[in-house]
Amino acid sequence: MTRVKLISAWFGGALLLAGAVGILESGAADVFLEATRPDFQKISLGVAEIANTGGSDWLAGRIEEVLKHDVRRSLVFDLVDLPGLGIQMADVRNGKGAGSKAVFKQAAEKGVSVLVWGTATWKAVGDQSDVNMEGFVYDSGSDEVVGGKRYAGSPSVVRQMAHRFADELVFRYTGEPGIARTKIAYVAQQGTARELFVMDYDGYDTRQLTADGFLNLMPQWSPDRRFLIFTAYRNRNAQDIDMIELATGKRWTVISFGGLNITPALSPDGNFLAFASSYEGNSELYRLDTRTKAIQRLTVNPSGDFSPSWSPNGRELVFVSDRGGGPQLFLMSSDGSNVRRLTFEGDYNAAPVWSPRGNWIAYVCRTHREYKLCIISPDGQKRMQLTTGPGVDDSPSWSPDGRHLAFSSTADGKSHIYMIDADGKGRERLTFQGTHNSAPSWSPAS
Amino acid sequence: MNRTLWTCGSVLVMGIALISMPGCSKKSVQSGGDSQSTQGMAKGGADGSKSGVGSFPDTGVQPGGGGLRGLDKNPSEERLGSGTMLAKEDPSGSAGRQMDEISRAEQAASAAAGLRDVFFGYDSWVISEEGRQSLSHDAEWMKSNPNALIKVEGHCDERGTVAYNFVLGEKRAKAARNYLVELGVAANRLSVVSYGKERPSCNEHGESCYQQNRRGRILIKSGK
Repeated sequence: MTRVKLISAWFGGALLLAGAVGILESGAADVFLEATRPDFQKISLGVAEIANTGGSDWLAGRIEEVLKHDVRRSLVFDLVDLPGLGIQMADVRNGKGAGSKAVFKQAAEKGVSVLVWGTATWKAVGDQSDVNMEGFVYDSGSDEVVGGKRYAGSPSVVRQMAHRFADELVFRYTGEPGIARTKIAYVAQQGTARELFVMDYDGYDTRQLTADGFLNLMPQWSPDRRFLIFTAYRNRNAQDIDMIELATGKRWTVISFGGLNITPALSPDGNFLAFASSYEGNSELYRLDTRTKAIQRLTVNPSGDFSPSWSPNGRELVFVSDRGGGPQLFLMSSDGSNVRRLTFEGDYNAAPVWSPRGNWIAYVCRTHREYKLCIISPDGQKRMQLTTGPGVDDSPSWSPDGRHLAFSSTADGKSHIYMIDADGKGRERLTFQGTHNSAPSWSPAS
Repeated sequence: MNRTLWTCGSVLVMGIALISMPGCSKKSVQSGGDSQSTQGMAKGGADGSKSGVGSFPDTGVQPGGGGLRGLDKNPSEERLGSGTMLAKEDPSGSAGRQMDEISRAEQAASAAAGLRDVFFGYDSWVISEEGRQSLSHDAEWMKSNPNALIKVEGHCDERGTVAYNFVLGEKRAKAARNYLVELGVAANRLSVVSYGKERPSCNEHGESCYQQNRRGRILIKSGK
């Protein structure tokens, strides 16, 4: 039984995006089996109370709130309103309490597939504080408490406990690691400078990374999440491409050719760096072998070529070229061969990013003089506009599960970071400080 | 069958190789044969084989890091490290703030010399008649000050993508540079740099501000 359940849940997860936009196939080489199950239903999950079992009043409520948001954003689960269904958790404890059987029966009858509950405790240990969280999971399909987790740590990791538990739930039901522990790197204004920051995927726990007081732009993650690669200015007269190690703050230059050096993107295996440079004239795309340092020029034409993004299998690149007049998306093999134009609708299409599942490319499209987000299948057959309304939307970046996009938008006046579901629904604003937050880059899953 | 193994196996078969699979990675992801060399990086960018290429760490996905352990009927305690593994760059080693000051000094010196900037239309790098007049004026100054080195900065308004505007800014700077060369200024005195839309002189939304930001800024290059 568990195997059947896993299969259906996994297929369903892969299907979410395709199903939501009503598209059931794609021409990309590395598309999965989405087309086989258009009828995916999210798994109904109820988060019952996380009970305070000692210490600060806010603690359990905070964990419950973070967990519920994570469950909802996973798009794997349908978060049900338990009190609305008349289900009250009483005397369940670790699933062996006297009240547990009745509650489980009720949940199963109301169609709740998964019940989650837990406890949170705040303890003073000397002059330090220690937080403990327990979470339990009941599965109505197998009619058993399938397991739980126990976390301990300082009060500063309370949100991380909830995130980690949420990811365990996604992992249990899909085999995927979940996105609740992912991070988003972005650019924020500090005086006249622009510095790199990193925040949790839900906008909390913001940390400043660079502090050089000038311009640090367009960060991208390394596949192992340990580094950001980005554009900076070596002096006022030329740009470089730099890397910074997150754990140490150590920073160094990896490309300093003179001229424009922008839009670095490491291949999924980390062995190649694609980037745009104008050191031989106008902006062209190059591919650097990061082990041998051999450089290969990928584009040769008098127009601007930039913004490369790798297909998940590393075999192809999507990029922007204005060789036809306005900027349009093009595809090519990662050695520069087999170039073909992908977008034909509209006179401005830019900032492409290939989805982690390979079946979509998100980009900025201009319609009615507004810059909005669109997605297109790599075979060019399906296209959809995801955002509408005023403001400049820019820098789309996929969540590692391919179910969300982070992007910047000036829709609320200032430039801020937002996320939306990959079908354009569920818009959520992530930054609230400052006047300029831009260029979000969503980390790989851990 | 062991559920974790089965899950991992099926996911690999289905092709999600990009996402690291905590919990099973030790068993199934080490197929590439590359050694996990993580030492010897970050020495400062001088040891690349091609001039201008710095050192790269191995950034391939490392198996096992921060992985999930799965639900457990009798869960043992997992202690979470305090806070995020993130360190801020040491600001003392960087010259950015100084660069910002020099930028301002360059602008002040150029204004004092009476150099005029050139402005562009929306999404355009064509020099207008008014722009030609400004550049002609600038070229005269440059000819009578033959030792001055000149930098042309390309700037853009906030519309469009960050990357596109970098390329557009470079086109604007080069268009202005090329016109100055046509007017007889020695090409080796002129350099270009694009700031895209990242250093606007005006931060409002609207055409009067956008107009100010679509600029080729003509600057006397300072010594540093």
